[in-house]
Amino acid sequence: MSAECRTVVNVGPSHPSTHGVCRVLVELDGEIVRRAEPIIGYLHRGIEKMAENRSYLQVVPLTDRLDYVGSMYANWAYCRAVERLAGIRVPERAEYIRVIVCELQRIASHMMSIGSTGADTGAFTAFMYAFNQREQVVDLFEALSGSRLTYNYVRPGGVGADLPEGWVERCREFVAQHPAAMMEIDDLLFGNVICRARTKGIGVLTPHDAIGWGASGPVARGSGVDWDLRRDDPYSVYPRLDFTVPLGERGDCYDRGRVRLWECVESCRIVTQALDQLEPGPVQAEGLPRLLAPRPGDAYDHIESARGSLGVYLVSDGSVRPYRMHVRSPAFANLALLPMLAEGHTLSDLVVVLGSLDPVFGEVDR
Amino acid sequence: MAVTRDAIVTPRSVTNDYPGGVAGFVQKARSLLTGAAITARAARRPPVTVRYPAEKLTVSPRWRGALRLRGLLGRDGIELLTAQSPAYNSVIDGLRRSERLPGCVGNCPANVDARGQSFLIADDRVAEAYELVRQRNIMPGVLGRICHHPCETACRRNHYDEPIAIRPLHRFAYEQFQEFRPERLARFENTRGKRVAIIGSGPSGLAAALDLMRLGYGVSVYEKDAAAGGALRTGVPAYRLPRDVLAREVADLVEMGMELHCGVEVGVQIPLAELITRYDAVLLAVGLQTSRILPLPGAEAEGVRGALEFLRAGNGTGEAGVQGKRVLVIGGGNVAVDVARVALRVGASEVRLASLESSEEVPAHPWEIEEALDEGVIMTCSVGPEEVLAEDGRVVGMRVRECLSVFDETGRFAPQFGESLTNIACDVVVFAIGQSAALDALASDSDVKVTEQGRLVVDGSAFTTSAEGVFACGEVVTGPGSAIGSIAAGHEAAISIHRHLESIPVDASDRVRRPVPTYARYAEVDLRLVEDLRRRAVMPLADAEERARDFREVELGLSRDHAMAEAARCLRCESEICVGCTFCARTCPDLALMVERDDTPGARCLTRYELDLTLCSFCGLCAEQCPTGALVHTGQYELAFYSREFMTFDAAEMLRDPGGTRATGADASRHASEGGAAE
Amino acid sequence: MSFVWGLLYGTGAVILIAGGAVVGVWWERKVSARIQLRLGPQQLGPAGSLQMLADVPKLLFKEDVVPASADRLLFRYAPLAVFAPIAMSLAVIPFWAGWAPLDSAAGVLFFLAVPSISVLGILFSAWGSHNTLATLGGVRAAAQMVSYEVPRALAVLSVVVLGGSLQPSELMDAWRWWWIPVTLLGFGVYFIASIAEMNRGPFDLPEAESELVAGYFADYSGIRWAVFMMAEYGAMIASALFGAALFFGGFMWLPGVAGLAVHIGIAALIITAVMWVKWTFPRLRQDQLMTFCWTVLTPLALVQLVLAVVVALWL
Repeated sequence: MSAECRTVVNVGPSHPSTHGVCRVLVELDGEIVRRAEPIIGYLHRGIEKMAENRSYLQVVPLTDRLDYVGSMYANWAYCRAVERLAGIRVPERAEYIRVIVCELQRIASHMMSIGSTGADTGAFTAFMYAFNQREQVVDLFEALSGSRLTYNYVRPGGVGADLPEGWVERCREFVAQHPAAMMEIDDLLFGNVICRARTKGIGVLTPHDAIGWGASGPVARGSGVDWDLRRDDPYSVYPRLDFTVPLGERGDCYDRGRVRLWECVESCRIVTQALDQLEPGPVQAEGLPRLLAPRPGDAYDHIESARGSLGVYLVSDGSVRPYRMHVRSPAFANLALLPMLAEGHTLSDLVVVLGSLDPVFGEVDR
Repeated sequence: MAVTRDAIVTPRSVTNDYPGGVAGFVQKARSLLTGAAITARAARRPPVTVRYPAEKLTVSPRWRGALRLRGLLGRDGIELLTAQSPAYNSVIDGLRRSERLPGCVGNCPANVDARGQSFLIADDRVAEAYELVRQRNIMPGVLGRICHHPCETACRRNHYDEPIAIRPLHRFAYEQFQEFRPERLARFENTRGKRVAIIGSGPSGLAAALDLMRLGYGVSVYEKDAAAGGALRTGVPAYRLPRDVLAREVADLVEMGMELHCGVEVGVQIPLAELITRYDAVLLAVGLQTSRILPLPGAEAEGVRGALEFLRAGNGTGEAGVQGKRVLVIGGGNVAVDVARVALRVGASEVRLASLESSEEVPAHPWEIEEALDEGVIMTCSVGPEEVLAEDGRVVGMRVRECLSVFDETGRFAPQFGESLTNIACDVVVFAIGQSAALDALASDSDVKVTEQGRLVVDGSAFTTSAEGVFACGEVVTGPGSAIGSIAAGHEAAISIHRHLESIPVDASDRVRRPVPTYARYAEVDLRLVEDLRRRAVMPLADAEERARDFREVELGLSRDHAMAEAARCLRCESEICVGCTFCARTCPDLALMVERDDTPGARCLTRYELDLTLCSFCGLCAEQCPTGALVHTGQYELAFYSREFMTFDAAEMLRDPGGTRATGADASRHASEGGAAE
Repeated sequence: MSFVWGLLYGTGAVILIAGGAVVGVWWERKVSARIQLRLGPQQLGPAGSLQMLADVPKLLFKEDVVPASADRLLFRYAPLAVFAPIAMSLAVIPFWAGWAPLDSAAGVLFFLAVPSISVLGILFSAWGSHNTLATLGGVRAAAQMVSYEVPRALAVLSVVVLGGSLQPSELMDAWRWWWIPVTLLGFGVYFIASIAEMNRGPFDLPEAESELVAGYFADYSGIRWAVFMMAEYGAMIASALFGAALFFGGFMWLPGVAGLAVHIGIAALIITAVMWVKWTFPRLRQDQLMTFCWTVLTPLALVQLVLAVVVALWL
């Protein structure tokens, strides 16, 4: 069929399945996608540039707005870079709290992704079950930081505040019930014959391509790329915690989704261990200046976010503001796979593939 | 309930497929039934969402914004730190325990209420400000000129732009007070019928005298010189402290009931033992009178002098015998700088300062060094005195050795010297390297013990000596220090004497603590973007060329307008009253705050404080940096609880008590029970 | 005279469907809410049951938007073209012993054939909207509804074979309770095919929200949109009532009004099951939908037909 006969459809920027404000320019041959080009930038706010005009502490709320589904990660990655730049030693309790909130954040973020896999395929109930779990995490975060989406909780030198009274018990209650709830969602969604038919063999990403395109996180692990920064470039207190890294074999949407599901179960294990090892102590590095002015130099640090390896590169010229900040966003790298993965599938599969890449456009566009 | 599985173990590989053939078909069909069973089970479960009436989408009286103000400028005055002298320390200690001690008050040895002073001056109540300061700093006019102002070092404004000019404000208060002096000075009567003798009329002796008079004792002060003032008179150069100011402040004390006997040297004209019998208690506040001179080769030559003797001569007569001579001052402390500047004024042709420390480590205050350099003093740093070069018994120069480092790694004084030697030509060498007490004549005929090194045996916290009823305070106890430090020691000696005379028992918990709060280290403030209105008032100085020739005053004092504006800069730290400093609005990354204030003297008030919740991102940086602690989080961040029409909260809204927080769940339960009752 | 009767029947059908849709929407909201651990409507009336009384006027008063590039005639009347055939199909449903509003000799055929005309209405709306996503939805709907006619007709045919008549009243007279186990498979096929006919999940591809936003009625608003919704609920009600009569005997269990109540009760259960399925399963893809129809559903319907024929011959 010649190119002239193709139908061009704009999926987005305002569309139920674009997970934010992405526009996918789709060329259809009947219902078959011949070309899918993601057009990004609708959520560009110039966060990297804004960071150059703010003090190091003021940048933290900006990083909240990068990956707004998993704010804790950007907080943490940024703070790690600042700490590396300024040579700040973080108290152990703060490191444990960071691990706990970030693993909870992984659950919250994956719940969004798994839920939207359901919503994209028309199983809205699974979405609601997933959000029931996410809400509980968000409640925990609200008790911790006061907000439900942009937490501003991880700060350079530690965390914003110590755990409130009774929080540990609430957290334990949550992680105790979560794996069983995940198994229910697994049966409802990934066990279902229709869902399998919709996700298996769709958007197959080979390990070779995954590495070549710089994919990371569950997208790469769904293709069997055994790479997890928590284990392979250990940071914080992760070396003291025991966890499995689940892998897929086929690299299709099903494997990507199910990797996320099992990662949630593993996150529960990590949180339980971290809560057991949590000791009383300070949660902020002592003697930290209110206005940080690191020595001139640069620093890069990365963490394993829910979407992959999230890195922050900071350059200091010795003043109280970063000279330059750059964010290596996993969602951006993963989204680049969409044209390749969606080609040849139907329009219905396009949204499933897009959902399985789990892009958050706050982070893609920055 | 949810599906229960004994052990949920993560598989290494998550891929799984249906088996082929009939088994696969059965499994496929069963997956549909499993799904239906799960949803059916869920339908039987109680819903997790909340019934509407419990969380209505209207503004309840409870939800009052994410931030709250505890107090407002113009509505509440701040608490002034006034108390009788013995009670004052416990007031300060209480504030320290509750972490509400302002930095300026905490860092001052005598805990002068600088915050209250700024409050009263900005309110155009200058006489009250003077009296408030005099509670602790007995001579605001004097200290307002010579104090080394640790209060300004601790001022929180250092972290934002520049500290409040607390010391110049003391001086301003003194100058304004002269107008009210006749009507406001009251005489203290001897209500207790007991009398205390104080030997020495330096800052510590006078501080103790004022406290004791307030407590109702009769006080007699003995001074060996012709006029009162002690080291303030003999040591501090007149260009820093005009003598008439000192005299007037002492006269004020005399008017308040202090008995002053000048020109009476205790131990020579009156034996100490006689005083002990005549008075109920005796306080030795004699200070340090002799300079230390290093026992170097040639130190006995003519032209080698001690700093105190030099200052006494220079300050007293305006003639120190150095007319047209080259003067070398050994030492890097404030006394050395004073000596150098006095030497210039009494006609030295060249004045050179040789300090052991490097130019960064010199212990003298940087502003003093700067003023000295302006006047033409030459500084030679990192040299240690080696030998006084003398010809015919007269000084012709000084050989100095290079000094590599003064302090070792642990910060102790352990100078390391290098090899290189230098000769400095000079006619007079003044040693300003330390002072010691001269007590032999004083204590010779009493029970007061003096060690072989000539030091007084004294309990450093109760200020008692080895003799019953004899106390000591000031530099004779604490060693060389600041005037305000001596005043603080005087206050505490007064408490100790009061306890002794009233037989109030002393236990360990009553011992005086010095509540100096510790502060986090902050980075240097970047002043480039700070507008002029926010900057500290600049003290006008006399012209350096002219002032170096005589003893005219260097600092000229603040004008009334400048002083009022400067006092209005005070942040009133820890008062929990918003002063409209606008730092919250400046910190806000989202420009959600709007702050304005009116600085009319006597009617200072906050005219506008608004929080626009549509812009707020709840980062909390504003509350974190609030200097007064007035701005606090309420923990209520859920936008769903606000009505869209009322997204801007003004000061009145923000002052209301929000009553509990949603985050802790403290009143979620209260709310639920109310909702339950309503249904 | 027949015109007057027809007018009367028509009005009755519209009222029945409109009322059924009002109750149905409320019931669906409650069912889906409970499945999803929610409460559903609760503010107006007991358990929010009067919510639709507020929603209907809202829909009536909403602006009737016609896109500038739309084919105005097709766009405006497409909702009626969808709704009318479904309202007509109610005429042949037997509600009472020996009585149906239109007790035609070809009644069953009428029921199978007439609602399919609404496919034309869907195509009208899809074409008339002049919108790519709507067109895709319309094409999907046409293919799907035509295909699923086949197993649905075959499933109903098995009952006709047992009853030996196409006239609804005669068919119901012949109905015996042991037909239920014999035609259970047929009911399953009829149930699934009916869901596909009325474009509900998991076969709601023409209006797939996550892909086509709302498919063929993406550009509709207000009352015209409401007519589409009524058509969907009307199809659900008609299919449920007809299935309850043919496969479960409907009013045959009890005499008189009580029988009618049983009939409606069975239909309500079927409708609830339709909702349950929708809120449980993901949506199929177009090609999977077709494959399922021709390789699973049609053979099963044929098996059922053979079974019915064998039983009928054995009698």
